[in-house]
Amino acid sequence: MAVREIEPVVLELDRLEQLAESGYYNPYTMFDWPDTIEPDKPWMSEHLTTLGGTPMWDELTREQQLALTRFEAINFFSLNIHGIRELMSDVVMRIHEKTYADVSEFLHHFIGEENEHMWFFAQFCLRYGGKLYPAQPTLKADSVEHLSPIARELIVFARILIFEEIVDHYNAYMATDQTLPHIAREINRVHHQDESRHVAFGRMVFTNLLGQLVKRDPDEAPVVAEYLENYLQYSIGTLYNPAAYRDAGIPDALALRRKALAHPVRVEAHDQVLKRTRKFLSKSGVGRETIKR
Amino acid sequence: MTDPMQAVQEFILGRNPALDRVSEDLDLIDSRAINSLAFVEFIFLLEELTGESIDPEDLDLDDFRTLDALEARFFKKEAAR
Repeated sequence: MAVREIEPVVLELDRLEQLAESGYYNPYTMFDWPDTIEPDKPWMSEHLTTLGGTPMWDELTREQQLALTRFEAINFFSLNIHGIRELMSDVVMRIHEKTYADVSEFLHHFIGEENEHMWFFAQFCLRYGGKLYPAQPTLKADSVEHLSPIARELIVFARILIFEEIVDHYNAYMATDQTLPHIAREINRVHHQDESRHVAFGRMVFTNLLGQLVKRDPDEAPVVAEYLENYLQYSIGTLYNPAAYRDAGIPDALALRRKALAHPVRVEAHDQVLKRTRKFLSKSGVGRETIKR
Repeated sequence: MTDPMQAVQEFILGRNPALDRVSEDLDLIDSRAINSLAFVEFIFLLEELTGESIDPEDLDLDDFRTLDALEARFFKKEAAR
């Protein structure tokens, strides 16, 4: 790891640490897991499914619509699980690096909480869906090796932040959606509560590392902006899992996925999901408008 | 039927505005014409073009290095049918 070339990340985290301590809960005892979930309730808010608001949704039978909410909830929680596995391993490797000595205390809270989130997401998937969807196929090649060490470091934390902000958009809505089963609402609510601290922390780390990058080589900022925009698009794409369409009994999964991803209603929905993150990236100076084409 | 390799080229060009064309021997991985963030979409495209599912466990990086390698791995079988 090239962390030695990075200056120490020093942040004012007292408030976030206090909140993590005062809000600490036992995830293994706090949920009341029912044996089964009411069959007529959606597991994911209907408009948040990948066909929400499109004619493709209206063309489904009610059974297919409900099945889609179930399998897309399993996909959403599976994405969380794989995302958490990835970010935890990145953070664990840094937790006692000199660069992160000042934030190590909070990183311990962070890893502990993420591990607990991974547990309750998997509980839901395995208890009620009987499975997790596998992680997305990955290219076994480094796509950021052309970037400087500080840019690569920034991207590690930017990916964590973006992932958390996108997920939180869904959690925040579903935490209070009365059409959902109680247990689905609870999982979204608890996750949303913890993630607000993680997002606050993530933005602080991001700002610190971006400041270091700009000080060293401002010309690299647009290159990072391009990577981040691609990462936003990639993240949206992962929500559209053809396996979930197939499991819901919907034919032509790949063609449907392509059509849904490009549908104007969905493009508008993606903009809503990414609005907060895009605003933050633009304010930080690495919005998509800075990309050099 | 449209040539599937044409669709592959269009995908790569669409994601790499700086490229005018994709030469047969361009190393798509080293040049980052196909990178990790585009990879999932690319796999779905290949599945749609071949009509067959692709097992992620069965993927070899070298199958994605050049247009020739992609054609040999994913489309030659079909042509021989």
